[in-house]
Amino acid sequence: MIGRRLAVHLSALLVGAAVVRVAVVPAEVCPPVTASQVRQSLDAAVGWLERGVQPDGRYLYGYDRNSGVVSTDYNEVRHSGVVVVLYQAYAAMGSIDALAAADSGLDRALRDLLYEDDWIAWAPPGEATSGGNALLLAGLAIRRAATGDRGYDDVMRGIARFLTVLQFPDGSVSAKWLEGSGPIDATSLYSTGETAWALALVDREFRGEGWGEAAALTIDYMVADRDRVEGRFSRLPDHWAAHALAELRPELLTDERVDYARRLAGYFSIRLRFESQRLGTGVNLLMRWYPGTPAGVGTAGEGMGALHLLASREPRLADLLEGIDDRIVCTAGLMVNRQVTADEAALGAHPALEEGAWFYRGYTQMDDQQHTITSLIDALTVLDALEATP
Amino acid sequence: MSPAMLVVAFVAAVNPFRARGSVPESDSGRARTVPLIIGALLTVGSVGLLAWWSDPVLRSLAITPETFKIAVGFVAVLTGGYAFAVAVPAAEPELAGWRAGVWPVWYPRLFGPEVMVLALTAGTGNGVAGSAGAAALAAAVVVVLAPVRRPVPRRVLVWMGRIAAAALVVVGIWLTIDGIRDV
Repeated sequence: MIGRRLAVHLSALLVGAAVVRVAVVPAEVCPPVTASQVRQSLDAAVGWLERGVQPDGRYLYGYDRNSGVVSTDYNEVRHSGVVVVLYQAYAAMGSIDALAAADSGLDRALRDLLYEDDWIAWAPPGEATSGGNALLLAGLAIRRAATGDRGYDDVMRGIARFLTVLQFPDGSVSAKWLEGSGPIDATSLYSTGETAWALALVDREFRGEGWGEAAALTIDYMVADRDRVEGRFSRLPDHWAAHALAELRPELLTDERVDYARRLAGYFSIRLRFESQRLGTGVNLLMRWYPGTPAGVGTAGEGMGALHLLASREPRLADLLEGIDDRIVCTAGLMVNRQVTADEAALGAHPALEEGAWFYRGYTQMDDQQHTITSLIDALTVLDALEATP
Repeated sequence: MSPAMLVVAFVAAVNPFRARGSVPESDSGRARTVPLIIGALLTVGSVGLLAWWSDPVLRSLAITPETFKIAVGFVAVLTGGYAFAVAVPAAEPELAGWRAGVWPVWYPRLFGPEVMVLALTAGTGNGVAGSAGAAALAAAVVVVLAPVRRPVPRRVLVWMGRIAAAALVVVGIWLTIDGIRDV
């Protein structure tokens, strides 16, 4: 009798444990990775962007390897995002090819500048967006810091002034400026954080001109009001906000802003832990679906990278550093593993359009490479430090 | 978890009020002390052991402590809900003499799945001493409740068991949220 009851209890225990294991906590798979592997991966991914530079300064937008078709779509905000990441790659790895590819995209943008009153905006036909201008400005700031070239200082200050024109008194940021009517009364998902980041970067380049305070105004909007005002049920895990916080001058890091950084670290962490549970096969596919879009994983990874930078110099966040670094290294292992190698690309219809890229169910887009590259550059810092530790 | 939260979590998971309803009793209706003490000691020891092994166990499962907390929350919500609905557990056949402290007092009554997973997660965050200490407080309650035998106090115990079960659901939700927000 006791044996039968024990068998019933143990069976229930085992079945319950199996259900929890499969459905709630599948193994978190973090492939081992070295700094050298990350460098190779970065070279390959940056190579994909470099090969995609078009004669007019555009970049290859997307490619579907199932159909072998190159996308004819284009997005100007993503264009400036690619300019940013190519300058980041130059700054991190000293790649002259990356600098040249970034400059091609920059030159294309500078052909569409709009000069108005005391500000300057990048205004490709039909859109002078805050997001596009913010990322272009961020790219210019990274370029300035990496090359020492002061040739674009006036343009940088002009675009920074344009961004402050788009800032409302509560710190929210208009999605775009229209000729005749000015800033529209609408925000965009990521342009708020992009604007704050760009202004914080400009503050780093032009100290004492008040750009950091302008960035902080928008950060405070993100801290206190944005998600409620913009009608989101949950907090936006905004990697641009993390970048903005990481670049903010130390004296501007109030407790509220630091708490926001802590919350962001939690959002990115659960996203990346969830991602590491995705195998994309068998029962796991039913429970966790396919491995996430590279852009999605990359944004969480780069958000963590920004918070690593912040936590390593901000004592109030020092307790997060170990967890942040674990997530960064795990994500680097995942993404290095998921990248299309030269051998794999050789089997495809257009190897040059596949090698070094990250695909989501057969399709890759410029921002898949953009965000993943930034996250790997951040991972390189962490891995170099880990490997240097005896 | 804060020390107070840890004690609440273990009292809710062990649920001594509910457990008292189905432990071996003498003819007078009083719980038999020796099996109760043995079950309580085994529970404290098991919690301490799991807390001690929590890091290697989670590593072998390839689960970070933060994510495991979500699983513990899930288990706590389910078992808490069950305990709330089934306020008096089914009577189990007993081993003879002091061995009744092993079955059914230690397992399945005091050291259920919710206590096992709580011990693992508490081990990573609060250490062995903290986890075993909180479990000892919870287990001590069931020993203290041994004399309860009259109908009215026993009905009160059933309702206290329900309150503890509801608390376990709350603890489970808190653990899930904490696991999601953790870095």
